[in-house]
Amino acid sequence: MNTFLKINKKTLIILLISISIFFLVLIFFKNINKIKNQENITMTNPKFDILNPLFTINNDKEKISVSAKHGDFLSENLILLKNNVFFESENFQIESDEVIFNRKQQIANSDENSIFKSEGTEINSEGFRMLNKGDIILFNGKTSLLLDK
Amino acid sequence: MKFLIITIIFLSAQISARELGQTEITTDEGIEVFKQEKYYLLKKNVEIISDEFKLNADLVKAFFNEGLYDVVRIDSTGNVILKSNRGIKAIGERVDFNVKDEDIKIYGNKSLLITNEMEMKSDGFIKVNNKSGLFSLEGENNTLTNQDVYISGYFINGSFIKFEEINEIENLFVEDQIEINIKTETLDMYSLKAKYNKKNNIIELFENVKIIRDKESIEGDYAIINTLTESYKVTSTNANKVKVLLKEKREEEDE
Repeated sequence: MNTFLKINKKTLIILLISISIFFLVLIFFKNINKIKNQENITMTNPKFDILNPLFTINNDKEKISVSAKHGDFLSENLILLKNNVFFESENFQIESDEVIFNRKQQIANSDENSIFKSEGTEINSEGFRMLNKGDIILFNGKTSLLLDK
Repeated sequence: MKFLIITIIFLSAQISARELGQTEITTDEGIEVFKQEKYYLLKKNVEIISDEFKLNADLVKAFFNEGLYDVVRIDSTGNVILKSNRGIKAIGERVDFNVKDEDIKIYGNKSLLITNEMEMKSDGFIKVNNKSGLFSLEGENNTLTNQDVYISGYFINGSFIKFEEINEIENLFVEDQIEINIKTETLDMYSLKAKYNKKNNIIELFENVKIIRDKESIEGDYAIINTLTESYKVTSTNANKVKVLLKEKREEEDE
């Protein structure tokens, strides 16, 4: 008589179920590792660190909101703001495409074309630097200022 | 032809973005905005064009009043040239221009100010208020000239009035430790001090007075000259001191 025929039917089912569970567990862990690896790639090589970053500079006279579409952390305090970067207060607005903003010192620096607008005032420059919490703004390079009384 | 005219108009519009009533400022090395101190610092090859004036300089500090647009004073240094459509031309190492009061101060060597046919030169300081007509020059090589008169002296103060688009001297005070000179078409006058008043058409000369007319020369301590009749009287504290030279005239008469 064939030895296989000697195996208990119940034992065989348990064996098959055990093997199936083992494979299922194996496949599950493999997938989890795969997902984990994917997550790690996303974290170590992101397109940007912050989406729609928003900061505020407060000085004695006004509150300046800093916003952009994207922001990348260059260090703990330095953030590279990209695309539609706006510095806005009740009195003025500065628009640029790329600005490095220091959160701690509240200094902004840009080497990209910038437009400053205030009541009756427009400044077009090749970059700008904002100091003293916005009290001093330096516009770099060839610059034009249009005043309209 | 039409196309050419349209092209020229279009190009002109492209060259200057400025519209009527606007002031356009351009710089080569940027603009610094100091909001609390209320001024702009404009750096290198600065050009300011408005309806009223045009200014070129190396460095400009432009002070604003209420808003950033309200520039009230322009303090410029380095190769400054200011031209206004009210007949002012100012050239100097430094020009401090009060836009609203039309007050102009020019500092440095070869300072020059021309205002409606009146020309002022100085190696020191020129100050003119185009509204009130008050002017003041202080320094070496000061001269003031208009169509009728040439004046030189270390201190020249006075006022002018506008008459048919020409500035005429209304009051004048001139002083110099060495010599002042007032020259008209007919008279050449020297002294240490001089006063002029247009109202009574009188020039007064004080100390080391010398008046030259044609070929005659007269010297004394004090002179009073009527600019209308061109008559004058020279006196001296010492009665014998008045000296008249008619030598050349006599020689001419002999001939």
